[in-house]
Amino acid sequence: MASVPSALAAGSGSDRLPVVPARAVALGLRIVLAGIALAGLYGGGWLSVAPNRLLPGEALPATAAFGLWTHAAAAALLAYLALAAREDSPEPARSLQFALLAGLLVALAVLTGLAAGRLLAGQPPSARCMVGSGFWTAAGATALLLLYEGRALRPARIAWIAAGAVAALALARRAGAFEALSIMVEYRARADLFHAALLRHLALSGAALALALLVSVPLGWAAFRRPRLRGAVEAVLNGVQVVPAVALFGLLVSLLSLALAAWPSLRALGLAAIGPTPAVVAVAAYLMLPLTRAIAMGLRAVDPALIEAARGMGMGERRIAFEVRLPLGLPVFVAGLRVAAVQAVGLTTLGGLVGAGGLGAVVFEGMAQFASDLIILGSAPIIALALLADLCLRTIELRLARPLS
Amino acid sequence: MREIRSGLAFAAVALALAALADPSVASGLAAALGAQPKPAVPAERLLDLAARHAALALASVAVATFIGVTLGIAATRSAGVALRPLVDTLAAALQAVPPVVVVALAFPALGFGAAPTVLALVFYCVMPVLRGTVAAIEAAPADVKEAARAMGFTRWQLIREVEVPLALPLVSQAVRIALVLAVATAAVGALAGAATLGTPIITGLQNQNELHILQGAAATAALAFLSEAVWLLGVGLLAREPVEV
Repeated sequence: MASVPSALAAGSGSDRLPVVPARAVALGLRIVLAGIALAGLYGGGWLSVAPNRLLPGEALPATAAFGLWTHAAAAALLAYLALAAREDSPEPARSLQFALLAGLLVALAVLTGLAAGRLLAGQPPSARCMVGSGFWTAAGATALLLLYEGRALRPARIAWIAAGAVAALALARRAGAFEALSIMVEYRARADLFHAALLRHLALSGAALALALLVSVPLGWAAFRRPRLRGAVEAVLNGVQVVPAVALFGLLVSLLSLALAAWPSLRALGLAAIGPTPAVVAVAAYLMLPLTRAIAMGLRAVDPALIEAARGMGMGERRIAFEVRLPLGLPVFVAGLRVAAVQAVGLTTLGGLVGAGGLGAVVFEGMAQFASDLIILGSAPIIALALLADLCLRTIELRLARPLS
Repeated sequence: MREIRSGLAFAAVALALAALADPSVASGLAAALGAQPKPAVPAERLLDLAARHAALALASVAVATFIGVTLGIAATRSAGVALRPLVDTLAAALQAVPPVVVVALAFPALGFGAAPTVLALVFYCVMPVLRGTVAAIEAAPADVKEAARAMGFTRWQLIREVEVPLALPLVSQAVRIALVLAVATAAVGALAGAATLGTPIITGLQNQNELHILQGAAATAALAFLSEAVWLLGVGLLAREPVEV
């Protein structure tokens, strides 16, 4: 999409035929999403109380869980729509819309946590209070609206509002507002295991990324120097991408165990068919394509005139590579690193299947027990880590690319 | 022709992997490496799982293609520009969510069976198709559209007779990516109880039967290479001239 000249994009946008104005579509989108949020607020089961963590509970609507506050939340949504419907909303108004939605999300979370505490009062300790489909619908639609409104705001403004929301949530957690929710109960029950899994996940992803870099840097360099080799390297690495991840993890386990049966002395090197070895190797195999490609592309990305100038100054190929190509190709390298880091966090999840531990093990344990809270407890940090890696490296990438353009 | 040549290469790899999945070949390999003999998955069972796996992937890609192309056409209308930022942000965010997490999160809501996998596959394959469609329609030369308008084409005619035919090569590339993704992700579905080629891998991991893992993994990879080969050969044979990438 980036390669499309903006003139063309503008050309396709200026349709001369009578059409629905874009403003109406934008308003329609907001009304639809706000409508979905309202439907979740009034229609779905908000909280359910179950006798224990595995049995399904009795679902309560939001009006039963926190009474009049439901209407206050609905009023906030309507106020947002009224603000958004204005013809030309200036920056402060747009910030206000964004802040209103962020505040609504925080308020819904806190109200839900407090309501869970009230519902569980006087119940036996095995009782659990879970959030239901109504909450997820309303929160999801509100989050989409936040994403939509965020497009027109300056990043600094978004960061301030987001920091405020996170601080409010942290404060509410400090005050014990969420302690009664089943997911927090699940977290408390295995906080140590959870933290160990989180660290394990980071270590496995990091090790895979390091291993992939170790192979990809010389490979990318070779592919850059010898264009003939490039085709072969691309073909092999593309072939790896076609192999489904579950299959590659499984294949490594069976091949490693066969190899260890044939040559038991390999065990002395610390290799094992089950555990971190197959997970790190399999994840690294997938990361090699984006990394190698980015390295070869970054080295080639430099303006040929600059290379000519460097040659004219009497620089050798090696010096050109280190002093011209390397610094100028940096944004492309970081872009490849970003893709690889996001994939590493996601793929490491499958490590749980081959006994490597990590957050995937938490997710799969939850699936085995049909315990949705445990699944969410494992999944949410995976998504958060992936998004965080994407955000951080994207920021670096944009900052590096700026002086070039 | 490049497509046919790479298609044949992919088909050869698929054939080799399928042979590796064969019970007698896999058992022979394990025995040659000195592993203890273990029961293998019969060939009929593998073929049955492969058929279910392919059906699951194809059905999901069909649904995802329909949704993705429709949304892509809508997002490139002049009134649809309002949808673009949401689509772009959402696409970037969704790329960060691994498919196995989608399957896991859909599992409690949709239960044991194929449903969570289909949801995850559709969810995951819509984005590449949607992005491909938007990029393809935007890449069409503006003067061609201008000429069609000047000739009195209606908006519907413009879509059907100009924009869609011009976008077809890029969209079919996107559908290929979606198909490979779907074949790969369907294996994960075995975790949520979908009968796919991932099933022998998962049961093999649970029962420590490396033979099952090897057979399931080789068969899944074979199917993925086969789908790539079929697509490439189909494109190579259908299109007289190679599709520009």
